[in-house]
Amino acid sequence: MDFKKLAQSLHQYERRVLPELEKHALVSELVSVTGLKEIEVNRALQWLESKSAVEVLTEPRELILLGKNGEKYAKDKLPERVFLEALSDKPFPLDKLSAKTGLSNEEVNVCVGGLRSKSAIVLLKDKGLQVKITEQGLRMRDSELLEESFLKNSFPLAFQSLSPQDKGAFESLRKRRDIIRIEVEKVKRAKLTDVGKKLVSMGVRDEDMIDSLTPQMLSTGAWQQKSFRRYDVSAHVPNVFGGKKQPYRAFLDWVRFKFASLGFQEMSGPLVETDFWNMDALYMPQFHSARDIHDAYYVKEPKVGKLDPALVKRVKEMHESGGQTGSKGWQYDFDVERTHRLLLRTQGTACSSRMLASKDLKIPGKYFGISRAFRHDVIDATHLPDFNQIEGIVVEEGLTFRHLIGLLKMFAKEFAGTEEIKLVPGYFPFTEPSVELYAKHPQLGWIELGGAGIFRPEVVTPLLGKNVSVCAWGLGIDRLGMFKLGIKDIRNLFSQDVAFLRDGEVM
Amino acid sequence: MPSITFSFEDLCSLVGQKLDDKKLAELLDKAKAELDSKLSSEITVKYNDTNQPYLWSVEGLARHFRASLGKVKGIAKLKLEKPVDGVSVDKSVSSVRPYIAVFVAKGPKLTEYLLNQLIQMQEKLADNFGRKRQKVGIGLFPAGKVVFPMTYKAVEPDAVSFVPLGMAQELSLKEILQRHEKGKQHGWILKDMKKVPIILDAEGSVLSFPPIINSDTTGKLTVGDSDIVCEVSGTDWSAVNLVSVIFAYALSERDFSITPLKVKSGKEQIATPDLSTEKMKFDYSLVESLLGLKLSASEIKGLLERAQFDVSGSNVEVPAYRRDVMHQVDIVEDVGIQYGYSDIEPLPLSSLTTGGFLPVSMQADTHRSLWIGLGFQEVMSAVLSSKELLFDRMNVAAGELIEIDNPISQTYSCLRSWLLPILLDVLSKNRHVDYPQKLFEQGVVTVRDGSDVRDESHLSAVSAHSQASFTEMRQYVEATLKSIGLSCQFEELEMGCFIVGRSAKVLVDGKEVGIVGEIHPAVLKKLSVLVPIVGCELNLSSLKK
Repeated sequence: MDFKKLAQSLHQYERRVLPELEKHALVSELVSVTGLKEIEVNRALQWLESKSAVEVLTEPRELILLGKNGEKYAKDKLPERVFLEALSDKPFPLDKLSAKTGLSNEEVNVCVGGLRSKSAIVLLKDKGLQVKITEQGLRMRDSELLEESFLKNSFPLAFQSLSPQDKGAFESLRKRRDIIRIEVEKVKRAKLTDVGKKLVSMGVRDEDMIDSLTPQMLSTGAWQQKSFRRYDVSAHVPNVFGGKKQPYRAFLDWVRFKFASLGFQEMSGPLVETDFWNMDALYMPQFHSARDIHDAYYVKEPKVGKLDPALVKRVKEMHESGGQTGSKGWQYDFDVERTHRLLLRTQGTACSSRMLASKDLKIPGKYFGISRAFRHDVIDATHLPDFNQIEGIVVEEGLTFRHLIGLLKMFAKEFAGTEEIKLVPGYFPFTEPSVELYAKHPQLGWIELGGAGIFRPEVVTPLLGKNVSVCAWGLGIDRLGMFKLGIKDIRNLFSQDVAFLRDGEVM
Repeated sequence: MPSITFSFEDLCSLVGQKLDDKKLAELLDKAKAELDSKLSSEITVKYNDTNQPYLWSVEGLARHFRASLGKVKGIAKLKLEKPVDGVSVDKSVSSVRPYIAVFVAKGPKLTEYLLNQLIQMQEKLADNFGRKRQKVGIGLFPAGKVVFPMTYKAVEPDAVSFVPLGMAQELSLKEILQRHEKGKQHGWILKDMKKVPIILDAEGSVLSFPPIINSDTTGKLTVGDSDIVCEVSGTDWSAVNLVSVIFAYALSERDFSITPLKVKSGKEQIATPDLSTEKMKFDYSLVESLLGLKLSASEIKGLLERAQFDVSGSNVEVPAYRRDVMHQVDIVEDVGIQYGYSDIEPLPLSSLTTGGFLPVSMQADTHRSLWIGLGFQEVMSAVLSSKELLFDRMNVAAGELIEIDNPISQTYSCLRSWLLPILLDVLSKNRHVDYPQKLFEQGVVTVRDGSDVRDESHLSAVSAHSQASFTEMRQYVEATLKSIGLSCQFEELEMGCFIVGRSAKVLVDGKEVGIVGEIHPAVLKKLSVLVPIVGCELNLSSLKK
């Protein structure tokens, strides 16, 4: 064992406690000789024990404590003292003693019993019982009783430390009511081991050891004459919790960066949307079953939003007759009032319809948006009150379905890490052709990755003023996100569990 | 999404060949359907396209499979019997439920399986396509007991009584709406109507009370019946006729002969179902410009025929059982589907575009990284919240809010207008977790100012530990704003959620951009939190830089 290294690693508490262990074994003693606090001594003992320098034994110890009467007698006088002082040479009637002394009958009885056994009084039968003090009694009255000197000790008092005289007083007081009681406590007793003895012999009370480097030492150069205490670098340290990204948000950040790196510009839209942008502009007929009150959250107040009347007119025409697009339209009376109705956005595609009508739209252009959307669903392990949708469009003259498939292949590769995809005919009111994308994820197997299609002319023409090819897509990558984050219950995406957020791995 | 269940063997026999799993999946793809479950003899199929009701029966599906396999070409043929007089429509229904189509199907005796298939089809078409019977309702009853012609008219709800299906005694129409299970279920369709529709036969017996319930006496179809009346009523003529056509086609697949009934309405008369097809001009070049496929005219014609279109030159004829073809692009999609999506070669995008983020999200990222740098853990919460959480718990009066008219639960009944209460809610749920807890959230909140509604980007942070103080949070706010080149001032603020004298408005150039303060013990008590908390909320949208 490298004793020098060991000696250098001793904390100042240890250095102060260790030499005292040659003479002292109890914590209370060590506290008084080292001037450390009890907790500091205990810590030093614990550390020294872990270094095998001391052996700490815990042993039971009987402690004597004062009871209620004991405290009273220690403060005032013992009843027998009061009793003896009340007596004179003449006999005194026993039944009048309580009134004369202020002692209770019980105390009087105890005194009579105790003093008689010590021959301090005698009882005479003469007109009832009379008490008379003896010579012995007079001597006792003029000196300190053993019980009195016992009660002068400071309590709690270790049983082992009692003198033979105290022991006699202890025995007699113990029989009496509520004067003393005994409790058993555990006491630490520390003993130097051979290692400890060796350390002591090396002189660990080395004042030239630095525990903490201070600015003062640096400015005076005092550190130069000293050596640094060694730390136990492998010891456990308390946790700290740094700040970091919320895991799901970090995943969405990754998705955003991915899209930007693929040449997509971010787009957005409001959470509170009109029926118009959310559905009508996307050529979803107003009688469509997905538009039932039961599928969307409608806003209490205000009920309606503002829209460009000219744009509404063009969309209305599309729904009713298909306008000049060559479409028959949905052939019903479009409700202009209803299209102004405000609801919570049900799909991120609302952002795409806004983007198409925006003066900022570039052709060719690629756009994506990560948007909160809301469905009128009960919340459970697979449904959140609101969720994120990833949607986008690619606008370019001459794009075909083959380009869309190329795009979807790229998404599968970038987001699911696979080139194996399956394309299945799909249905969306706003795209034709429509397709659903499945990708074979290396671990999850076949997963539905998203839906896509080419926007119908009835969608594009009124918003853009002409029919240009627009590939539109939406990706459902929450499942991928959950997989990446190791989350089983979708509600944990918005976890409110601070321990989970702190302990989670950073992606 | 509708789904139907049927016998797999039946499907194969209607298709005319055995289908293995792979072939079945491929054919279902082409019908925009998928296998939901397959037991030994029974399969359930789910449809993704709600506009193609002609596929919502085993008969319709089999017909589509036959065409996709090339066993038949173009529109399926249905030979109708000579129409006979049958229905007179009274003008009283014109404002109630104006349209009706009726035919009689005569054929083999109904087996239990076939009867169940018809009932299933009736339910799917009425529920999903007929908008829960409102737009289209369907009645099937045995022809044997009907004395033609029938009358379709509207009457006052307490003027007529009959024994509805499943009951023993006569009820008035009004009583049916109030007491019969179907009346209670579908009565909303006729709500507030002074008169309700009814179908009577020539002898005045009630056949049906559309779209609610048939008569138990004359309108009960059972196993063994062979002559069936199929009545379809509704509010949209083309939808009513479409459903009638789909039924006629399905029954003819089962060797029923279809006799159309002439429906007389005033001076107009039409034999139903009306099998008229629609001709559309089809521009073949769309196949290349939309799908990117270079195909010859005859290849395209072949694919169109597999999709059940009749083709002659540039004319494409759409079958009467389809009404979902609105534009040539719908036909192009069918060409693509029959070609096979998996056989279409992908092409890469060729034009170069630059990607990037919106200014609002770049700003958000900047602030997020600053607060993370200060040791704050990011939180992300639902946008939906409640008045109770956002205001009552905070001892702050609720301002104008975006509340939901039809919430599912009070917990999610409005949009959040600030973030601080949400972070406090998180703290109250993590009282057992080690302190200090320093959390922040950046996100969208929605504020309302009368009829003006806008989203704002906010950031809120909280610090909870035994020494948490106003000074601490003010330091963080100053530090982050300084990092983006803004200096800020603080002005005393009185707000129910904060301790008076320990809360402030954050001002930049004299304009309020946020708040900061020590959370009031009365609020902490409501949250059952036993450590001091200091919090702030910044409106990032109001910061210039």
